Amino acid sequence: MSSSSGAHTKLTRRQLIQGTLGGATGLVVWRWPWRVAHAAAQPSGQLTVGVHVTLSPTWFDPAETPGIITPFMFLYALHDALVKPMPGNTLTPSLAESWSENPNGLTYEFLLRSGLTFHNGDAVTTEDVKFSFLRYKGTSAREFKERVRDVEIVDARRVRFHLHEPWPDFMTFYGTPATGAGWIVPKKYVEKVGDDGFKQQPIGAGPYKFVSQEAGIKAVCEAYDKYWRKVPAVKRLVFTGVPEETTRVAMLKRQEADITFGLGGALAEDVRRDTTLKLEPVHPPAVWFIYFAEQWDPKSPWHDQRVRLAANYAIDKQAINDAETLGLSKLTGSTIPREFDYALPIEPYAYDPVKAKQLLKEAGYPNGFDAGDLTPNPPFYSYAEGAANFLAAVGIKAKVRTVERATFFTSWREKKLQNLILGASGAPGNTPVRLDAFVTKGGSYAYGSYPDIDELLTKQAKERDRGKREALLHEIQRLMHAKAMYLPLFEPAFLCASGARVAYSGLGKVPQFAYAGPYEDIQLKT
Amino acid sequence: MHRYILTRLFYAFISLMLLSVTIFCMVRITGDPVVLMADPGAKEEDLQALRKELGLDRTYIEQYIIFISKLARGDFGKSFMYRVPVLELYLQRLPASVELAGAAMAISIVLGIPLGIFSAVRVNTWLDSFSNVFANLGLAMPSFWLGIMLMLIFAVNLQWLPVQGSGTYKHIIMPAVALGLVFSAANMRLARSAMLEVLGGEYIKLARIKGLPERLVILKHAFKNAIIPVLTFACINFALIMNGAVVVESIFAWPGIGRLLYEGISSRDFPVVQTTVLLGGVMIIMVNLVVDLLYAYIDPRIRYGQ
Repeated sequence: MSSSSGAHTKLTRRQLIQGTLGGATGLVVWRWPWRVAHAAAQPSGQLTVGVHVTLSPTWFDPAETPGIITPFMFLYALHDALVKPMPGNTLTPSLAESWSENPNGLTYEFLLRSGLTFHNGDAVTTEDVKFSFLRYKGTSAREFKERVRDVEIVDARRVRFHLHEPWPDFMTFYGTPATGAGWIVPKKYVEKVGDDGFKQQPIGAGPYKFVSQEAGIKAVCEAYDKYWRKVPAVKRLVFTGVPEETTRVAMLKRQEADITFGLGGALAEDVRRDTTLKLEPVHPPAVWFIYFAEQWDPKSPWHDQRVRLAANYAIDKQAINDAETLGLSKLTGSTIPREFDYALPIEPYAYDPVKAKQLLKEAGYPNGFDAGDLTPNPPFYSYAEGAANFLAAVGIKAKVRTVERATFFTSWREKKLQNLILGASGAPGNTPVRLDAFVTKGGSYAYGSYPDIDELLTKQAKERDRGKREALLHEIQRLMHAKAMYLPLFEPAFLCASGARVAYSGLGKVPQFAYAGPYEDIQLKT
Repeated sequence: MHRYILTRLFYAFISLMLLSVTIFCMVRITGDPVVLMADPGAKEEDLQALRKELGLDRTYIEQYIIFISKLARGDFGKSFMYRVPVLELYLQRLPASVELAGAAMAISIVLGIPLGIFSAVRVNTWLDSFSNVFANLGLAMPSFWLGIMLMLIFAVNLQWLPVQGSGTYKHIIMPAVALGLVFSAANMRLARSAMLEVLGGEYIKLARIKGLPERLVILKHAFKNAIIPVLTFACINFALIMNGAVVVESIFAWPGIGRLLYEGISSRDFPVVQTTVLLGGVMIIMVNLVVDLLYAYIDPRIRYGQ
């Protein structure tokens, strides 16, 4: 017994060394992965974004999101949505763990993730979801008010949106950058500080918390280590508004900025030649096109489909692409971006000036005609100059008329721009949303419409069967192409670049988002 | 003296009232800010709601009365774009502008005035030719071009200075040089011509005949009289740089008033444009008043109210 006992208690020197080494190894093995993971999880470093526009505090508040993508540059950092586009999926559940549509298409239910918190530590609740939706007054707010009957808080994690009638595009409006209605703000905090106070010191549930801002100049954010998806790799995120393009490229070269957007062809070429920098073109959902504003006027040459076709054949779109965006834009035969839901990819009419002249001859214009003004979307005047030169080569004489940006949009909306309009739309959404503004009868930017297309548009709006709806929308796009309703140029490359310190920029990774993201995935070189 | 100042202040008030009417009307001629602020697909009702929120649904006369009555209470309104009181924005940007204008003015005076004086004293020598070349170059080079060149050389290639921003002495060098060189060329031309005019005066000849040392003739008798127009010009330049360094501030992302004005104009932010222009006007009027008062100190022959 004693011997047995002695055998258990006696410790040889070898056993002692083995035990010590084993214990130390075990401790290291046990602690090491945690330490590595912990170290990796700690955000570090600073990423400076040279923003191509002046920063506006209204962009810090999802409730005032206009129909442009720029505010989402900040929303993706500071806030989070129930559902939003993420790499590989346009409708990715984010604050919502899941969402479902009931069979009659009248109710959408969202289930919140558990344990979500805002940057001030308050829990993200279904009450916040309802509040954020009701205070929303940005783009399409009127549409939401007309179509959503009620927002019902089912329980602490479940919220239901009841519609008056089925709205197949509800998730496009609520879950993509088509609007900012699905981005959640803290009710208690907003009520406490007010709308303007919120814009000065926003609090959200996004991967970065707001630190400070110099109005119009700079916004500083810091990694939020309780972000549900992951802890951001970069600790500090600084947005600096530098509208001057040359300065932004100089900042990139000098490592004063790590990422920048919106470069023109010449400076983008400079970036491409610099081996320390990386030119990263992004393709937002936009299309450049020429619109024949007079096609519904029987007295106008543009009323004749052959003339519109001639214009389509007359322009060497690839040449303009090469000159303006280093050939990085994508030629297209449609005004609907390929990336959009229900888009029908259509090849453009080939550059064929001989055919263009032939079509003009058949239409009764063997010597061409005076096409009046070609008014471009400012400041893209050189696009119009190129297009006008190609048109002139086949006899269509258009004069480039430049106007200031606000005048351009006001005049277009009020249908005061005449002859030819060189425009673009980069508004997020899907095919029906784009058609609604540019093709539908009474659309904001439509000078007229075609009865066959209008009929199909009305049908698709009520169609809940996805396959049938897609067929209808494809037919509309085919008709637009056949009628040469527009002269599509290309889906432009938005020329962005990252600097020498950036390991992963995330530029162009999120669908329908023109910038770098998701921010929590961005990495700096160590 | 007091009467003179009061009269000048009265005229200043009239000038500012006229300026307020002019700027109020001019910004409204540029168009409707709501079109820029609203979503491209916004309906007319949405635009109207936004106009109402900003007080732009009222008649121009009503808007002006509201604007002036608020102004009388020191309320310059709230920025359409930034959603903060404009005065707060203006005061945030003011120190940077004062800093830049001060540095640019220092460069323009230190370089321009001595060159102009030497050039006049040594007229038709190599120094005069050099000064003239310098002046022509300075006046011919657009400040935006000079700014970009400085940036490429000193920030990108040599990496001595930061590209943009503010906060340290290194940040101010390039924008101050880009602005200051233009004004130093102008100062040089003005100092030279003023000095040449004074040097041809009878009292200068008398001073020389009396046997006064040349240094004393130049510095005590000629310079003091020649400096008056140069000083006026330099002070007005200071106010102009403060409010109008739009291009240089944009290139170097300098957070000053010029950039604020540019942003205001671009986004049709009426309160921002009205405030920056009005306060710019106040500054120029005040500077002029101060310069007039300085005249008496520099040249005792000048008496006010006579």
